[in-house]
Order: sequence, then structure tokens, then C-alpha cells
Amino acid sequence: MTVSSRDFVYEKFSDFYSDPSTVIPSPSLLGQRELGFLLFKERIMLRHKVFARISNLKLFLGEAVPSDVYRSCAYYENPAAEMDKKGWLGADLVFDIDADHIPTSCSKIHDEWTCANSECGFSGKGITPETCPICGGRKFDTKTWPCDLCLESAKNETAKLIDMLEKDFGFSAKEMSVFFSGHRGYHVHVENEAVKTLDAMARKEIVDYVFGLGLTISGGTAKGKSRRRGASRDFSLHDFGWNKRLKLGLQNFLLTATKEDLANAGIKGKSAAVLGNKELILKRCVEEGRWGSVKGVGVGTWKKLAEYVKDLESAKIDTVVTTDTHRLIRMNGTLHGKTGLKKVEFPLSNLKDFDPFKEAVAFKEGAVKVFVSDAPEFRLSGNVFGPYKRKTVELPTAAAILLICKGRAEVAS
Amino acid sequence: MQMETVRFTQNDLAKYPFLKETAAHMKKLNLKIEELANPEMEQILNRAEERVKSAILSVSVGKKRENYVEIPSFPVAIMLAIATKNSFIKKRYALAEAKQAFSDMRFETRERIMAIALDFDWNLAPNRSSEIPFEFALNFADYLRNTVHLRDTEWKLVNRILVNGKVYLNQHDVARLLQEEVQSRIERRLEATELPSFPEKITEMAERLIDLAKDRIGQEEMEGFPKAVSQSAFPPCIVALHEAVSKGHHLSHVGRFTLTSFLVSIGMPSEKVAELFKSFSDYNERLTRYQIEHIAGERGSRTRYTPPNCATLQTHGVCVNSNDGSCRGARNPLVYYKRKLKR
Repeated sequence: MTVSSRDFVYEKFSDFYSDPSTVIPSPSLLGQRELGFLLFKERIMLRHKVFARISNLKLFLGEAVPSDVYRSCAYYENPAAEMDKKGWLGADLVFDIDADHIPTSCSKIHDEWTCANSECGFSGKGITPETCPICGGRKFDTKTWPCDLCLESAKNETAKLIDMLEKDFGFSAKEMSVFFSGHRGYHVHVENEAVKTLDAMARKEIVDYVFGLGLTISGGTAKGKSRRRGASRDFSLHDFGWNKRLKLGLQNFLLTATKEDLANAGIKGKSAAVLGNKELILKRCVEEGRWGSVKGVGVGTWKKLAEYVKDLESAKIDTVVTTDTHRLIRMNGTLHGKTGLKKVEFPLSNLKDFDPFKEAVAFKEGAVKVFVSDAPEFRLSGNVFGPYKRKTVELPTAAAILLICKGRAEVAS
Repeated sequence: MQMETVRFTQNDLAKYPFLKETAAHMKKLNLKIEELANPEMEQILNRAEERVKSAILSVSVGKKRENYVEIPSFPVAIMLAIATKNSFIKKRYALAEAKQAFSDMRFETRERIMAIALDFDWNLAPNRSSEIPFEFALNFADYLRNTVHLRDTEWKLVNRILVNGKVYLNQHDVARLLQEEVQSRIERRLEATELPSFPEKITEMAERLIDLAKDRIGQEEMEGFPKAVSQSAFPPCIVALHEAVSKGHHLSHVGRFTLTSFLVSIGMPSEKVAELFKSFSDYNERLTRYQIEHIAGERGSRTRYTPPNCATLQTHGVCVNSNDGSCRGARNPLVYYKRKLKR
């Protein structure tokens, strides 16, 4: 980012935080939380800050103009103290769903990587390779893009997560808040008394549940303990918890499965038996629970299908965020330094229709001329821009800031 | 709807001496520590010694006596265990009491199970859903708090029926989870830092118990790791991390932490650990040293960190899921190391 680009973004962020009409919603028990700020110019993190009132924080933001604002998920007796003297009282249960953790078809088009070895500098598009094909280096500078497809896939994962939190974990809509992160994903926060004091190990079990990690699928070659206990060699599913999810998942998968889908699930030789008896399988096996009743579709096939469906039904969350009971997470209503978009909350019921490229736009006025090195087509506030390649264009402030922050454009001199 | 709470009888208090109500009962008896040396207390003192002794020898608490001996012998046994100032004995005693409680609770009435659970502030209810074939429904947070130390995959939340915040359980499972709760309650009582001055009789008894434990368990087992680092005993995950680091490959945050805390825990000096990270392109000597010293407990909170448990390493993709037999039954890379060293 050039100095003039940085000054431009800084000025706009400053305007945003100084504007009396900007509302930063206060998280619950603000005074018990640690706040952290990433400073624009110095690029350092100010931590261990406390604000008793949101109005004080707003004043501070207007003066300090950070590029990113964070607050702890945890509550502390003394949030301003050093880490080990803070006096941990509990923490919200948080989930982070980021497109970075979900494989999507589009990332091949809009993501770029450059070998960090200054003597090499080889670059390419798509998913970053393990090693540089030219020099064998392992460090890369990457350019990602928050595109519609990426965010849509993150939204699907969020929907699966919320379904589990509601039906399995029994959290009420009142206890859950869902946010667009301001960049490439969504956050879900749960505030619930029973969960508040759970330690990292217990939270890890929640993560494993959501991920389906360690789920035992019954039947097949039961070994060791379970066989001694007389576990059945037959495949079966009951109607509760993860078993129910697998059952519904199998139903959905089988309804539309093609030969290719089955191959993805690891079923090759038996695919004709599955595809040829689809209706019978759905009725007798899935619906009536007579899993072994269709010839050619045995325990092995069911286990493979169930393993595959487990992956489809699990929610791809960032595991580290949920298990960290001291995590700092972006504050609702503040700007994301990589996009200039806001982190925004929206009603759970609105997940399907929520449009981040509309609701999260912070800068609604003005325009500026920028030189765009490379940008895919994108949507913002209902307008479509790009694609641009080495081109000077005048763009609305929000679009210009998005490109500058993502390293795709500079303010034209 | 709350189930009618049952009142505990004297027999219950003798059977479950860790209950809050037993403590209240003891308070009424107003037993003084100095009085323990009196001859009429001998029965109680002997029973208390037997509790701890059986714990050391066979992780049990011995045969029950008459209520008037049995009930007060528990707090005396606690005191005795504290007087040994030996963490191995304390742990073992808490486990023995908890195991005894488990075998009693397995065949307890449903009402009493509910009452004991309430004593631990559990949100436990009888299952009212006729479709789900289990007797109890427990709030999942209470469930998680008491299953973190249970390694068998059947205890993983993902393998349980979880509906609307409730985990459905049979009595055997509830009793097993209460065992965990009993153990940690007793362990907390044994943590007492302010020690009263014990009568000579108690100190002597404590000495005898320590000798017994040393004789039985061996000095080394009670004290921990030998000092020399043996690479051939590294578990597969550490071998993989170690190799990656030696080749200058990038490691995830969890990976770096695991490797560092492992090496520090088995006694490698911080400077040697720091050298490993030198080949990293983003190597910064000062920062690396600082981080390692933090993990080693030489800075900051002075907490010495141990590597995350195997289950956590699986969650974060650090476990290499090897077929190494020694991994079976190990819940932490350190357990593997320790076991391998012995061979």
C-alpha cells in the first residue's frame, strides 16, 4: 500500500469513527472484557484496554483510528491486568467460519500467491501450493478475495452449525448471535450461563461434535472392545443426535447421487447396485431401517456412504477459535482492516437472505480515482464492478477502499 | 419439574461421606484434631488409616464399619492424606474413594442418584421421553465437565444422544460421571495449603504411609522424568514435528507449541530448543527465546506448560494417526515417552 493510499484509508476510517451517526453496539458486560486495537500506522497491537462505557470507546476510536478493533470473548475480574493476573471469570462460546477453511471451486480463480523468497518471486493463481515449484520455498504472500461463492459456502456451514446449536445443544435464539465477520466469513457467539465456565477441553468436545470428529459409525469389522461387548456387525442408525443427521444426510445424498458422487464417496464396484435400486434403498433401508435388505448394498457400502455424508453434514469451523478461552474477536460494528467492511449482526432467521455486500458497507458517499492492478468482478451495494486489469477507474469510496485494503489497487496520483 | 428430594439417612452418609450433608453432620459432632490421640478415638483413627492404606495398596477403601466409626473416619482419612504431603498418595486416595462411590451408586435407587447429583449442583432429570431408551437426561455442560478425563471414544459427546441440550444416559454412566465429580471434590479438599499442626500419632501414621507407598510404587514413578533426553522414545507426532522443524518447514501454531512444550517437559534446556527453530525463514532469536522461556515457565506466569493431550492434537490436525502400538492408551505425548523409556 502506498503512503497516499494508506492516508486515504486512514482518513476514511477516521471519518467513520468520528461520525456521530456511527453506532457501535456494546457487547454485554463491556467493562469485564479486554479490548485490543491494531494501529494503522505503527502496525502494532494495543492490548489489555478496558472501557466501562461504549461512549468512551467511541471517543477513543475517533482519536486513535485503529485499523481493527477486538474484544475478548472472556470476562475478567481485571481485564487491564497482564494475562495471568486478569482473573478469568468465563467466556462466551464463539465459532468462526471462514472461507479459508472451506474448499470452494472459485478460489482457483480469484486467489493469488507469490513466493516470499525475494530472489524467486514466482507467482500463480488458485490454492497456494505446499512448496514453490521454482525454488522450493515454503513461504508465500497470498492475495485472497471475499467473493460471493466463498461467502455463500461459509453461509452454508454457518446454517449447519446453527442447526446443531439449536436442536442438539438446545440453545435458544436469544442466546445466539450471528455476525458477518467483515471479510470472508461469519461468527456465531453463544452467551449461556452453563457454558460460560467451560474450559478449553470441554469446548474442544463441542468442536469435535460440530466437526463430527471421532464419531463412531456402527457396524462392519468391529474390533477389540466393541466386539467383546457384542456390538452388532450390522450397520444401523437411530433417530437422535448425529445418527439422525447421518440418516437425513444419506437421504439427501442418495436422492440426487450420480455415479461420480458415489465415486467421491469411495464407492466404485457397487455403484450400479446403489443407483439401480435407489428408490428401494431409500424406502427399505433409510426409511424403515432395514439396512441389509437390498442385495449388493452391505455394511461396507453403508459405512463408506455414512463417512462421506458425515463430512457433508459437519460444519467446517475454525477449531482454534472455539477452544481458545481468552480469544480476542473482532468487535461488532467496527471496520475490518482488510476490506473496510463492517462486522455486522443480523437476525438468525435472516441467514438465508443476508447479503454481506450490502449490509456491511460502511462508506456510502463519495468517489475516488484508483489504479487497479488486478481485480475480479465484484458486487457492492447493489452495483457490479470489474473485472479490472491495470486500469485507472473512478470508484465509489467503499469499492475503492475494498480494493486498496485487499492490495489490488492504489489511489491514483 | 423437580423430583421429590430424598433425605439422606445415616447409612447414606456412611456410604457417601463426601456429601455436603456429611460435612454438616460432622460439624455437629464437633470433633477436635487434638482429640484424635485419645484412646476412644482409636477405632476411628484405625479405620482412617485403613482407608488410605487400602488406597495405596489396591485403590480401594476397605471394609465398611459401623456408622459411628465410618462417618468420622472419612474426614480423618483426609487429614491423614494431607499430612503425608505426598501428591501421589493424595491422588490415589481420592481415586479410591471415588471408585468405591461408583460401585455403590451403580445399584442405588434412582431418587438417591438424583439427590447425589443435586449435591454437586448437576442439572440432571429423569428421562421422560419414551422414545429414547435411557433413564437419565443430563445437561451437556455438566456432562462435558466430567468426561474430559475419560478417554474411551464412547464418552465423546459426538457419540452420545444429544437432544435439546440434554445428554441421555443410563444409571451406570451417570454413576461413572459422578465418580469423576467425587474424585475432584476430594482432590480439592486434599489441596489444603494451610496445614494444622498434627498430633504426633498422625505424623507417625503419615510417615508409615509414605514408606508404604515408596515401597509399593517405587521412587521414580512418584517423581516423574529422568533427566536425559532420549530421541528414540519420541512419539510419532513429535517425530514428525521434529523432522519438519529440522528441515525448516513451516509449523502451525499448535504444532510449534506442542513440540516446544514437549521438549521442555522432558528436560531439554531452552537454548537447545531455540536452536531447532533457527532454520525458519521468519526466525527471530529474541522472540523465539522469549516464547520458549514462557512455555518453560521461566517467564511470565511461571506456569510450565505441558503438551496438549492427544485428543486436542487430533482436533487441530497435529496427530499423525500412526499405527504405533504404544500410542494406544496414551492420552498425552508425554505418557508415550515415559512408557517407552521404561522398556
